[in-house]
Amino acid sequence: MAGYANPDVLVTTEWVAEHAHDPNVRIVESNEDRALYTQGHVAGAVEIDWQVDLQDQVRRDYVDRAGFEKLCRDNGISNDTTVVFYGDKNNWWACYAFWVFKLYGHPDCRIMNGGRKKWQLEERAWSTDRVDVKPGHYTAPEQDGSVRALRDEVLKHQKGGRPLVDVRSPEEYCGDRLHMPDYPNEGALRGGHIPGAVNIPWPLSVNEDGTFKSAKDLEKLYVKGAGLKRRSPTIAYCRIGERSSLTWFVLTFLLGFAKVKNYDGSWMEWGNCVGVPVVKGTTPDGSPA
Amino acid sequence: MSTVPQRIDAVVEDFVDLEGREKLELLLEYAARLPALPSHIASQRASADHRVHECQTPVYLWPEVTGSGAKLHAEVAAEAPTVMGFVAILAEAIEGRPVDEVLTLRDDLLERMGLAQVLGILRTRGLRAILGHVKRGLLAASTPAGKESP
Repeated sequence: MAGYANPDVLVTTEWVAEHAHDPNVRIVESNEDRALYTQGHVAGAVEIDWQVDLQDQVRRDYVDRAGFEKLCRDNGISNDTTVVFYGDKNNWWACYAFWVFKLYGHPDCRIMNGGRKKWQLEERAWSTDRVDVKPGHYTAPEQDGSVRALRDEVLKHQKGGRPLVDVRSPEEYCGDRLHMPDYPNEGALRGGHIPGAVNIPWPLSVNEDGTFKSAKDLEKLYVKGAGLKRRSPTIAYCRIGERSSLTWFVLTFLLGFAKVKNYDGSWMEWGNCVGVPVVKGTTPDGSPA
Repeated sequence: MSTVPQRIDAVVEDFVDLEGREKLELLLEYAARLPALPSHIASQRASADHRVHECQTPVYLWPEVTGSGAKLHAEVAAEAPTVMGFVAILAEAIEGRPVDEVLTLRDDLLERMGLAQVLGILRTRGLRAILGHVKRGLLAASTPAGKESP
C-alpha cells in the first residue's frame, strides 16, 4: 500500500482475519446483495445495509443524527472503535458506508482492500454464525458538510467552472443510455452529464482482484490523465452516489486530495431537476469530440 | 395441480412471519434449487436479448411456452443470491401453468412476502422488473405466431 496518501486507511484481508474479534475493532459488511451476508460473512462481522440501515425510509436522505447513533450502538460501535468496511462489487457499498460514517464524523474508518472478492479468492472461511454484539456508546456530531455536496452547491460549483468527476459508464455520461423500463425509482427524465464534468468510470480505480490500483496508476488516471488537482475543490457524482463514494474515497484517502465532496443526489436528482444545465456527448462541455 | 396464485400464496405464507434474516435464509434455499441451464439454452447464453438490463448483476432469463405450459430457464450470477432466489420462486410457481394464469400475478409479491422492507426500495424495484420481464416474455412467446398447437 506504499505511496498512498493515507496508507493506514486500507487494511489487508490478513489484518482483518487477525483482528475480527478485537474488542476495539468492528468489521462491517455492506453489500449490493443483502443475502450475501446471510450466506456467509467474515466471522465476527456485522452487516450495515446502505438502503435499510443508512438511508431514511421516508425522506430521500440519510438517517438523522439520532438514527446514526442508534445504528452504531446496536452494532457495537463506540466513538473510539476502529470500523473496517468490506463488501461485494469491489467495495462500492463498503465505500458508501465509509462515506456515511465520515458524514457523521466517525474518526477511525478503514476499508478491507479487495473486499469479499479477495477474501473469496484467498479461500478464506465464511461464517454463518449470528454475531453477538455488546452495545456501543455513541454520540455523533451533526453531519459534516465537507464531504457532501447538495444540489445548490453543485450548481454554484459548476457555474464557477470548478472540477467535477462523473464516474458513471461512458454510455450514461454521453446520454445514450437512460431508459430503464420497470425501474421508475432510478429513472431520470434527461440523459447526459453536468457541463464541465470529466468522465472517469469508477472501475478504472480497481484491479481484477478487487483491490485498489497502485498510487502511481491512480495518479496517472486522475491527475496526469484527467488533469484534476489536489488542492482544487472537486465534486464526484454518479447515479445515486454509491459509485462516486468509491471515487471520493480514492481521491481523498489514496491520492490525498484536500477538498473532495460526494454529490449523493447525483444523476437521479440532476437529471430530474428543472432548469439545471445538461449536455450530451463524450466531451465535458458537450462539444463535438 | 395447484395454480400459480395458489403456489404464490403458499410462498407468501412461508415467508410472511419470518424475521428479516430468516427470510433471507429461506430465499437462499430457493436460490440453491435454481436448476442449471439445459445445454440447448446454455449455447445461446451470449445473446443480449435474454439479459435483464435493469439488473446490475448479470441475469439471463428465458421464459418459454411449451406444450405443457409456462417454463422459466434462468442464469443468475453467483454474487446475486437474492435475485437467484427470487427467480427460483418464480420458476417454481409458473412451471407448467397456462400463460394467462401467470399474467394474473400481481406486482406486489415482494411486499406480500415482507421482503420489501428487508431489501429496501431500490432492490425491490429491480426484482419487480424481473417479474415484468418474465410476464412480457411469456406473452410474446404465446402470441399466435409462436403459439404451440393445443
